Amino acid sequence: MAFSGALTLSDLNDFISPSQACIKPVEVAKTAETQGAIKVDNSGSYYEVSQDGSETKLETATISLNDCLACSGCITSAESVLVTLQSQEELYSILKQNKIAIETNDPSTHRTVVVSISPQTRASFAAKYQQTPLQVARKLTWFFKSLGVHSVFDTSFSRDLALLETGREFVDRYRKAIAKGVLKPPNMNGSAAPADAAAGGSGDMEVDTPKPKKRIIRRGAAATTDEPAVAVETESAMPMLASACPGWICYAEKTHGYMLPYISETKSPQQIMGSMVKNHFGSQLNLNPDQIYHVCVMPCYDKKLEASRSDFYSDLYKTRDVDCVITSTEVEKMFSEQGQTDMSVFGELDLDLGYNSVIKDPNTGADQVLIGASGNASGGFLEYVMQYAAREIFGIDGVDVDRAVGVEVKTVRNSDFREVTLEVPGSGEVLLKFAAAYGFRNIQNLVRKVKTGKSPYHFVEVMACPSGCINGGGQLKPPGDNFVAVPLKDWIAQVDGQYRNGVLARKPEENPVLEQLYREWLGGIDTPKAREQLRTGYHAVEQNLVNPLAVKW
Amino acid sequence: MPHLEQLAELVGHEDRVWCATWHPTKPILATCSGDKTVRIWQATNAQDPSKWQCTNVLEGGHKRTIRSVAWSPDGRQLATGSFDATTGIWERDEDESGDYECVATLEGHENETKSIAWSKSGALLATCSRDKSVWIWEVEEDNDFECLSVLQEHTQDVKMVAWHPTEELLASASYDDTIKIWKDDDDDWYCSDTLHGHESTVWAIDFAPSGDEIVSASADQSLKIWKRFPPGNPFGIVTPRRGEPVWKCVATVSGQHERCIYSVSWSKAHGLIASAGADNTIRLFEATEARPEAEGRLTPEQQRAMNEPGVLVETVAVAQVKEAHGTSDINSVAWYPSETHGDWLASGGDDGSVRIWRLVQ
Repeated sequence: MAFSGALTLSDLNDFISPSQACIKPVEVAKTAETQGAIKVDNSGSYYEVSQDGSETKLETATISLNDCLACSGCITSAESVLVTLQSQEELYSILKQNKIAIETNDPSTHRTVVVSISPQTRASFAAKYQQTPLQVARKLTWFFKSLGVHSVFDTSFSRDLALLETGREFVDRYRKAIAKGVLKPPNMNGSAAPADAAAGGSGDMEVDTPKPKKRIIRRGAAATTDEPAVAVETESAMPMLASACPGWICYAEKTHGYMLPYISETKSPQQIMGSMVKNHFGSQLNLNPDQIYHVCVMPCYDKKLEASRSDFYSDLYKTRDVDCVITSTEVEKMFSEQGQTDMSVFGELDLDLGYNSVIKDPNTGADQVLIGASGNASGGFLEYVMQYAAREIFGIDGVDVDRAVGVEVKTVRNSDFREVTLEVPGSGEVLLKFAAAYGFRNIQNLVRKVKTGKSPYHFVEVMACPSGCINGGGQLKPPGDNFVAVPLKDWIAQVDGQYRNGVLARKPEENPVLEQLYREWLGGIDTPKAREQLRTGYHAVEQNLVNPLAVKW
Repeated sequence: MPHLEQLAELVGHEDRVWCATWHPTKPILATCSGDKTVRIWQATNAQDPSKWQCTNVLEGGHKRTIRSVAWSPDGRQLATGSFDATTGIWERDEDESGDYECVATLEGHENETKSIAWSKSGALLATCSRDKSVWIWEVEEDNDFECLSVLQEHTQDVKMVAWHPTEELLASASYDDTIKIWKDDDDDWYCSDTLHGHESTVWAIDFAPSGDEIVSASADQSLKIWKRFPPGNPFGIVTPRRGEPVWKCVATVSGQHERCIYSVSWSKAHGLIASAGADNTIRLFEATEARPEAEGRLTPEQQRAMNEPGVLVETVAVAQVKEAHGTSDINSVAWYPSETHGDWLASGGDDGSVRIWRLVQ
């Protein structure tokens, strides 16, 4: 009896379509012996009996939430069953447990609940319920606190940190790339050879690998296009790719492992908030990380995957930096579950100080007005890194990508692919060439260019969803029937319009709290603790080619 | 009585032949196989079509079976779709030895690529795969291909893609029993129509020379002919989606093939349809506009009431060759694309051979 490399989900009573069994490959360590018998003992444990009679106990194969969600090989509702482990149900049960803990005066089972809301979620509610983002923030604060939540925060705050770190990481990489000869330093004098200026992009980018010849004779040897000829070192890898989108990260880990060295190591705003809430906020309240339950409200489901990564799990406290991610639509469901469907009659509360992006309104004198980094609704990474790098590396000030000041902004091919170029004023020599690539087809093109060494970019903001985070899979749908009354494009424009409605613009480095955080919490800018709390790593998923015979056609 | 006579049997492939395809302008045939190679065949003597030689073997480009091969419309490049999930683009090296080399490899599909097709203008390439998606690529200079769109509306393995003979309109056939029609609105590709009717996998499709009809071959042992009805058509067929034509089934050929039909080819020269499959037989059909008085035809009022065209096209079986590849399945049939040798038909089968046939009227 041979061990099959594929596993079948057998005791689920969900329908698995006949052409797809679970293809999650089980790693079987190959031993020298070929034939072995399988024995089952009374307790139901399996043993492999080898030819010399010795028995080895076999471990049951398991599939974890992560395996399943990242694979998307089968399309059963079992997947959604597993996803409900991270949903508002979990939040309710923690809140209920808290109530019991308070009643029975048992602080050991109490967990302080913190909810961090993303600005995209705020915009989504603002568009659907005709409120301003500030009203939404105040009402969500009221709503969550009425359920027993302790603090409500805004991930715009942690995004300031993410942007700062990404900018610094980029400048660092750029300088190392120049030092190692990975990049050619641009000619700042303005007397650039015409050929260089005309070539613009691809001529400047020279990666370590020898330039691929136009005609490659591959007869006789199978084309080995899997790995680039020379290993890429992250610290100087160009282009640098944004890391905030978990959909992109999971796809790259699963299918394009060679892209991982290019991806920025800075954590996403969600995870930085996770680190801050568990390790800084917690210590301020004298709580251990496992005594806090951190919920993030996000525009998509892939953020649930991100929260459950093992890199964001503390072995010491047996707790995750983000315990639960719920989407905008799940929060809307909570409204109806709590019998509160009309947001216009919600109460309002001031936003919590601490990790919120609010200041006293300089114009109206109101206590609180929203403030945050400028840039588009996917976080503004491209915008920030461009103006930061322009200043830090080349001393060029006043670059504003939003308003196309100091840079040339071009839509390439389709609206989900933009190029932003910084040139030497006067000569047109390209200093920095950035791009934003959203959606699967544009990611394909980007990946192909990077793989063949033909990418002309220094930094690319990569997002898995067309139109970016504002159009995430968990965002609210317009009122009425499924995009008939309001076509999708118009709806996205409406939500996008609400994103910065009433939000004052402030550069991350001008956020006074950040400087304090770096000093008090991280001990400085480039300290080991800063790297531990603000950076992460990626892991390619082993591609075990499925035995075609085991797959049902 | 028209019949097919075998001109030549080409041996050389070491595994089943999946696809045979003619060069767009010259009497050159490309075939691909489970032996991971493509072979190029040419008649040794233009006057004597019974003698063919294999002039090139394209190997080393793919790690698994090559499932489909297609010439670019200008005949200068070959695309190969392989089970290794990649599509290879090959060019002939004119200055050196005249060998073909792989100048580009398109990646992206998650698993086996089943079919590839060039648009008539040569500007677009479509690929489809068991991963249920259809990809559209744009050909750029320097052998770079840019992915324009990834279309994921089929619910199962996509078996074949075929372009309209003149327009940038794509059809795809799938294991989900449907055929989908794709168009673009300024580089945003979408599914303009879905053709239901087959009761099992649709293995192959081909456009009529006019482009207004499609013939499809299915595992349900039938061929179907579909006709395009634009908005405001004289038959009164309703076109529900704003400005989009609909495709309706106007003929079904059943009771002829006795097993799955794997391949179908609609001759651009004389309009005959050739089909072949698991019953080891190549069959030829002629499709004609139905005479109004034909029996079983719905009256115009009945048709309008049903929004169905009824029988508009009649098919007649014209010829057949049993055991064309012995007891082996036939995987591919292809008519010569122009009138020069319009009577030639190529076929490839599980026996690893390629056969050239001539239609004798």
